[in-house]
Amino acid sequence: MFCYQCEQTDRSSSVAGCSDAKGMCGKDTVTADLQDLLVYAVKGIGQYARRARALGVPDREAGGFVLYALFTTLTNVNFNPARFVSLLQEAAQVRDRVKAAYEAAASAQGVTPETLFGPAAWQPVADMDGLVAQASVAAITSDRDRVGDDVIGLRSMVLYGIKGVAAYAHHAHVLGYEKDEIYAGLEDLLDFLASDPVDLEGLLEQSMAVGRLNLTVMEVLDAANTGNFGAQQPTSVRVTPVKGKAILVSGHDLKDLSLILEQTKDKGINVYTHGEVLPAHAYPKLKAYPHLVGNYGSAWQNQITEFADFPGPIVITSNCLIEPAPRYRQRIFTSGPVGWPGIRHIANGDFSPVIQAALALPGFINDVPEKTITVGFGRDAVLGVAGAVIDAVKSGAISHFFLIGGCDGAAPGRNYYTEFAEQVPSDGVVLTLGCAKYRFNQHDFGDIGGIPRLLDIGQCNDTYSAIKIASALAEAFGCGVNDLPLSLVVSWFEQKAVAVLLTLLALGIRDIRLGPSLPAFLTPALLEQVVARFAVKPITTPTADIAASLRQAA
Amino acid sequence: MNDARPMTDTHTIRLATKDGQDFVFECAATEDIVAAAANAHIFLPVQCRAGACGTCRATCEDGAYDLGAYSPGALPEDAAARREVLLCRTFPRGSLSLVLPYESTRIATENAVPRLANITDVVEIGEKTLRLALTLVPDERLGTGVEFEPGQYMELKVPETGVTRAYSLANTPNWDGQLEFLIRLQPGGQFSSWLSSDAKPGGQLQVRGPFGCFVLNQGSSRPRVFVGGGTGLAPLLSMLRRMADWQEPHQAHLYFGVNREAEMFSRPDLERLAVEMPNLRITLCVWRPEGDWNGFVGSPIEALKQDFEAGNLSSPELYVCGPPGLVDATDSLARQFGISGDRVFSEKFLPAS
Repeated sequence: MFCYQCEQTDRSSSVAGCSDAKGMCGKDTVTADLQDLLVYAVKGIGQYARRARALGVPDREAGGFVLYALFTTLTNVNFNPARFVSLLQEAAQVRDRVKAAYEAAASAQGVTPETLFGPAAWQPVADMDGLVAQASVAAITSDRDRVGDDVIGLRSMVLYGIKGVAAYAHHAHVLGYEKDEIYAGLEDLLDFLASDPVDLEGLLEQSMAVGRLNLTVMEVLDAANTGNFGAQQPTSVRVTPVKGKAILVSGHDLKDLSLILEQTKDKGINVYTHGEVLPAHAYPKLKAYPHLVGNYGSAWQNQITEFADFPGPIVITSNCLIEPAPRYRQRIFTSGPVGWPGIRHIANGDFSPVIQAALALPGFINDVPEKTITVGFGRDAVLGVAGAVIDAVKSGAISHFFLIGGCDGAAPGRNYYTEFAEQVPSDGVVLTLGCAKYRFNQHDFGDIGGIPRLLDIGQCNDTYSAIKIASALAEAFGCGVNDLPLSLVVSWFEQKAVAVLLTLLALGIRDIRLGPSLPAFLTPALLEQVVARFAVKPITTPTADIAASLRQAA
Repeated sequence: MNDARPMTDTHTIRLATKDGQDFVFECAATEDIVAAAANAHIFLPVQCRAGACGTCRATCEDGAYDLGAYSPGALPEDAAARREVLLCRTFPRGSLSLVLPYESTRIATENAVPRLANITDVVEIGEKTLRLALTLVPDERLGTGVEFEPGQYMELKVPETGVTRAYSLANTPNWDGQLEFLIRLQPGGQFSSWLSSDAKPGGQLQVRGPFGCFVLNQGSSRPRVFVGGGTGLAPLLSMLRRMADWQEPHQAHLYFGVNREAEMFSRPDLERLAVEMPNLRITLCVWRPEGDWNGFVGSPIEALKQDFEAGNLSSPELYVCGPPGLVDATDSLARQFGISGDRVFSEKFLPAS
């Protein structure tokens, strides 16, 4: 096992990365190896799918499988090695189907089909031990001695970005939105990685291709969310429990939430959002359900205590899952790409076992006095008051915007983001995106002339909304995004954040402050390149970084 | 109900929470505090368990300790100098007193709450063997869920007499309050006497649990071999029912044995499982058949050995439950055929003292 795809990767020795029997996330070595092998197998699908597409026989079903399979390998998603054994067999079958279509098309068109090697030629063995033995070829460090750490680091950055792209595209896919351009882009990137590239410039260019592809994906996801549930509206959300039976929905998946809301209609069960599902309350078609009563708990890393205290079943629809504690192990359910050995998985959208559990479990015995927060400042809401915002900036009432986006985590260094938000000057506005906001989103930030000083744009999935807001403001001010009085403070944790970061860099956005620690896959030489090309800045202290941001804007 | 592991060179650990509660337990010098606490059913808030996330930070007030490797991000140098520690990386060198930065409600103790259950069925299913079915009495604060891992056991207590016994659950976790036990009547046993003469539908028992760590190794896709002797079938039945319920794809083989044909039980349940699980094979064994028994003659160990010798079992995991002799013999057999100890999971049924 070797893995350094997330922020909490082991840094206790001179070589950063999880390489013991268990990763920091709780992933054991067998699961880690099988995940590497699945990525390898998916590259094989990409190799054939790219060529099949070129001959006019694209396979959308294979594209959907690629999204799902890659999503299972993200941090804190699927820890079930048995699940990976079957996914590997399925990957080989998908690859063989695409290969057959490619060869048939080539034959029909009088083209000699290419003989492909590497992942395209991999054949799975039947059992777990055999697959683990095969996994050495798939390790990201398999040729490190030959190509060096910089190449491994850049290949990893491309791969982790691809994983993030696939996860976002999967969220859109389950809502019925897909685009051939996305599948084609992923196939190109997977085929590129399957060639074991060693050229650093080529790898950097492909990492920008990942960022550009992710922008397309985020646009499609935005369309999927708003197309299914309407545009987000500023909405007051209760953050204290209501008496009654209860289900908690965590993760990011709005489709699963909508199914649960529909299936619990008129059953006397209240539904609560957790973590990144919070923005669901702002969508008209979801908030129309009266039993979507509120948000419970905080960010993902607190789930062991918060889930234990929740008196009903819990559904984890996507990242982030950590090992379920004994107190709630029997009443937590996974869906979609998520999995944990011994935890009940809902594979078909039928949440009746969850409903049965909710009715049997006590629920909240009493009401807790109401407390609310406001969410739902997506692009339509913010741009709807763009005139007032622009006037406030021009009059000097608003001096600066700080976008605090990304993930939360358990590391003590993440207090930086709380302190940052609290220290933003009174004429500054804080925009939030992702789950990092949970550290401060119940603080009272007040308003500036009726414009709230804390505007939550949504999940990390809503990055497109943030980009549209920034672009619209830049247009209104007749400048570029980099010239706006806007500073981006990004808290990264896993691969969705890598994809978003690559998108921002591909858009030419500079001076992003990145923390709490920098990706372990960025070697000192690579970091030097990233800083030189994109002016990415590691975070220092909130006071110094706010002062620097304001100085730069002045 | 598993064999207790001997502990040597242990130290007393005292954890004080923010709200003034103390948690005291023993910890071996080779064990970290998080693991030792869990062994004592004290489940501390942890995340990475690898010295990287800082979730388990605490302050040592008294005592000597060693710290394993950890990330400076989780425990900065100055904090370590103040005797702050990461509990998942702390190994005691003597008795320790530590202060936790959170309240006791953050710690799961799994203190099982006693519940009342109504007897819904008591029926003899084989010679000297009863099936006891209970339903939890509804409770507004606790609900009606029966939450456990297949393979675990409950304590049953007769309210009038105070007699308490531990029995493995034979059914699967459910939300209807249903509990099912398979109980061998022991001659002269207090609980057995009560079951035989006084237990009737409508009567009540106190139940408490679940307990035990004889559970499925859920992450594995290896074939599963189950070996049960007598009512040692109960936890295996629970595991198999879970596998059927979740449609788990593992190859499975159950070897179930009794001494005499008259003692055989649960055949309809097993036949149903065989229909539901295409990958399940069942070998019923009778040691000393008297009639026209057409199943395996001998012990489940002998049946298992035959299949090992014939090469019919490919690198399985073994789940064994029953009398100590059966468990020990299975252990030896497994070793003989090259199955390492970490792939043998067992629980011994011992008569109450």
